[in-house]
Amino acid sequence: MEILKCEEVKKVYGAGSNQVAALNGVDLSVSKGEFVAVVGASGSGKSTLLHILGSVDKPTSGTVIVDGTDLSKLNPTQAAIFRRRKVGLVYQFYNLIPTLTVKKNILLPLALDKRKPNKDYFEKIVTSLGISDKLEALPGQLSGGQQQRAAIARSLIYRPALFLADEPTGNLDQKNSKEIIDMLKLSNRSLEQTVLLITHDEKVALEAERIITIEDGRIIRDERRR
Amino acid sequence: MWKDYSADFIKNNRSASLSVRLPAFISALLLSLLCGLFYNAWKYEVERIKLEEGGWQSRMTGELNDEQIEAIKNFATVKNIVINDTGTDIYFDHYRDVLSDTPRIARLAGILPEKVEYHYQLLSMYLIRGGEDAAPRLIFPMFLLITALASLSLIIIIHNSFAVSMNERIRQFGIFSSIGATPGQIRICLFQEAAVLCTVPILAGNLLGIGGSMGLVGLSNILLENQIPGRHKAIPGYHPLVLAPALLITVITIWISVWLPARKLSRLTPLEAIKNTGELELKRKKKSGISALLFGVEGELAANALKAQSRSLRTASLALIFSFLAFTVMQCFFTISGISTRETYFEKYQDAWDIMVTLKDTDIDGFEKTKEIQELPGVESAVVYQKATAKRKITEEEISEEMKAFGGFSHAPAHDAARIQEGWLVNAPIIILDDVSFSDYCRQIGIQPQLDGAVIRNQIRDVTNPDFRHPKFVPYLKGENISSAVMETGNENTAEIPVLAYTGEAPVLREEYATLDYYELVHFIPVSLWKELKEQIGGMEKDTSIRILGKKNAALEELNTIQNEIHERIGSEYTVEYENRIQDYETNNKQIQGMKVVLGSFCVLLGIIGAGNVFSNTLGFAGQRKREFARYLSVGMTPEEIRKMFCIEALVLAIRPILWAFPLAVIAVGYMLKISYLAAGEFLAEAPFFSITVFILAIFGAVALAYYFAWKSVGRINLTEVLKDDSMM
Repeated sequence: MEILKCEEVKKVYGAGSNQVAALNGVDLSVSKGEFVAVVGASGSGKSTLLHILGSVDKPTSGTVIVDGTDLSKLNPTQAAIFRRRKVGLVYQFYNLIPTLTVKKNILLPLALDKRKPNKDYFEKIVTSLGISDKLEALPGQLSGGQQQRAAIARSLIYRPALFLADEPTGNLDQKNSKEIIDMLKLSNRSLEQTVLLITHDEKVALEAERIITIEDGRIIRDERRR
Repeated sequence: MWKDYSADFIKNNRSASLSVRLPAFISALLLSLLCGLFYNAWKYEVERIKLEEGGWQSRMTGELNDEQIEAIKNFATVKNIVINDTGTDIYFDHYRDVLSDTPRIARLAGILPEKVEYHYQLLSMYLIRGGEDAAPRLIFPMFLLITALASLSLIIIIHNSFAVSMNERIRQFGIFSSIGATPGQIRICLFQEAAVLCTVPILAGNLLGIGGSMGLVGLSNILLENQIPGRHKAIPGYHPLVLAPALLITVITIWISVWLPARKLSRLTPLEAIKNTGELELKRKKKSGISALLFGVEGELAANALKAQSRSLRTASLALIFSFLAFTVMQCFFTISGISTRETYFEKYQDAWDIMVTLKDTDIDGFEKTKEIQELPGVESAVVYQKATAKRKITEEEISEEMKAFGGFSHAPAHDAARIQEGWLVNAPIIILDDVSFSDYCRQIGIQPQLDGAVIRNQIRDVTNPDFRHPKFVPYLKGENISSAVMETGNENTAEIPVLAYTGEAPVLREEYATLDYYELVHFIPVSLWKELKEQIGGMEKDTSIRILGKKNAALEELNTIQNEIHERIGSEYTVEYENRIQDYETNNKQIQGMKVVLGSFCVLLGIIGAGNVFSNTLGFAGQRKREFARYLSVGMTPEEIRKMFCIEALVLAIRPILWAFPLAVIAVGYMLKISYLAAGEFLAEAPFFSITVFILAIFGAVALAYYFAWKSVGRINLTEVLKDDSMM
């Protein structure tokens, strides 16, 4: 079942002579439950692609359909609600709210919808991510790896259709990096979560079942490994 | 969740909260004070109108019969009626019924519409305007305008405080947005935060404003008690209904101030917001030549920081420039105006008059108290005089050579010198002096006193020289004619008056000659002669004047004594008005002081807006500056060098409005000096250097204080903590 479909997606920044094409006609299709790694050199357009897939940014042209929703037609409020319910986003620098506890950070997407969490699911996530004893701590009191786990927990709390991670291990040491990737794999397998991971780390990319290579805003290789 | 987030933020960011609470409190205080003062002004005006003109709302003039009175009395909306000399005054239960029910009452009682009068002045105080009321009732529009201006000024101040406080957390709102917070939810969060932060300051400010307004009314009673004898005393008061609009205006002002930055922030895309580190950034490289040259690298960094903040400091800079400019120009204007008034009026007339008495509707030839007044103790000289209008023909041959040299009548407008067959017809005002004074005048100009002729002021100003302060006078006529044919204005009646002398010297009166009409030919004649001529010439003004000169350097008390003496002698017989030179001078000074206070307050308000912005900006940016300074520390800058940079920034910020405004002020003052023909040296001798210096010091002090508080907040930097901040990407 296709969960993500991109057709001729272009993204141009700037105007006139300062125009830069970050994406230059990307066609992509991802099925539910896939674990995809997007690799490419710095400036190749992989982060732009992730932002567009996460409805954080809009394409200049082309269509992006995630779980049946055409992202190019969403207004800012609809895009925000879409992000909240359908997409889990994780960044290299965690982006946790420093003044909220880890628990409140994780439950934030639900709180925005005035929904109560499913206690069992919450327990399952925080236990499998190994942060159940850090729930009352503030982000500043955690290590980088722990903060990234909390960010992953927050992204998964709404059981999103698509889990997007932008260099999630870029700020972590080797041990923590491996643990984070293992967790993504676990969520991919046990929760049937579709994962799209952006990385420039070859080792991390090799953990994915499909590797897409981007160069100059175009997909130049799409390799299925198993 | 929003509650948790905002509560944590408010708890942990006291300086940012204070920078929002303080302006909210000041706004509430000022608006409430304004509303309270306007309410008291309105209340005072209503009381004054009722005291002076009565509290009736409409009136039926003339006498009414019993049936008519009964009909009015029994009308449902009428509360009371009072019958007096002018008619029947009607008092209604509600002001709103006055305009609609009065014509009904008139019809019912059979009273003609032209006998109906309305107390429009009183009704206008309740916003009731009748179609026939043509007078401009400006109190309410003025109130609305001033309140709107005050609200607008306050929005400019506090929206910036909110913007600075919000911008500190752009990145956090970006995170919220990235995980699905809608723009509406972000706006609501910011509004909730503002509501929590501002509720207490708004209430406290409003209460203090109410107290302040009542206190000021009480103070005005004390101050004006001795200044204006017999003034109706204001009773300080407050109506609960005033609190509602005062609160509403405050809430609207603060709501707009929050809405402006909240809307902007909520519209940012999550990407823009997350990428925002909140640090001061320059869009492109800018030159910081002077600062770098004067203060080295610290100067360059300070200049760059100011340029990066230029947008947020724009309001502060503009307000400080305008306040300094307005204050300086105002001070200089009053100094120039003061010098001018003193030289052209008070000093010019210092030895000309002390008391002016105006005898209303009195002719000089019928006034018999001249001798009595002239002999009063303390009176050095008293001249009784009346003015009359007349015309005189001037032939080409009569005109002096000097006048011909500047063009004769070629510059004269037709209403001043009409071309006629024989030459020109000009105004010839006649000043009729009492006989004793006329004789004194004859002696003054060196001729034998005679009471059968006129002395002609034979002087004309060179109209080609526009310098009114240093006019050049030349002889008007050759002065060869031994008589002057004076004509009645608008008629051919002519009286031939013997000329005793042509002179450039006028008698000592509080009069100006040939100032509006340069071509008038003034005739001074004694009252004895006038008695013979008045039937032929006529044209007398309604009133007669008495110019009193007391002893040299007489004090106000002495002049008051003379005035009382005069009043004892003529007060019962004539309708008299008095003017007192010293009193006039003091009143004039008080009026100028009052205007200075009003305009000065406006300048101070602008200054407060500017200083308030500097405060909100420096305090609000404390967090960002910490990161900026941490970077400097991390590359080896010492805390002392950073402090130096901070001081340079404050200095530049304070001095910039002065440097901008100074040349503009110089141009404005130069122009004022030019049009008033005042020498620069004369102005500089009395220039308001002290008050301008105090204002400059106040600007410096406010900016220094803002930076001192900001330094206290950012000065103690824990390098590791700041550099650990995840926004240091």
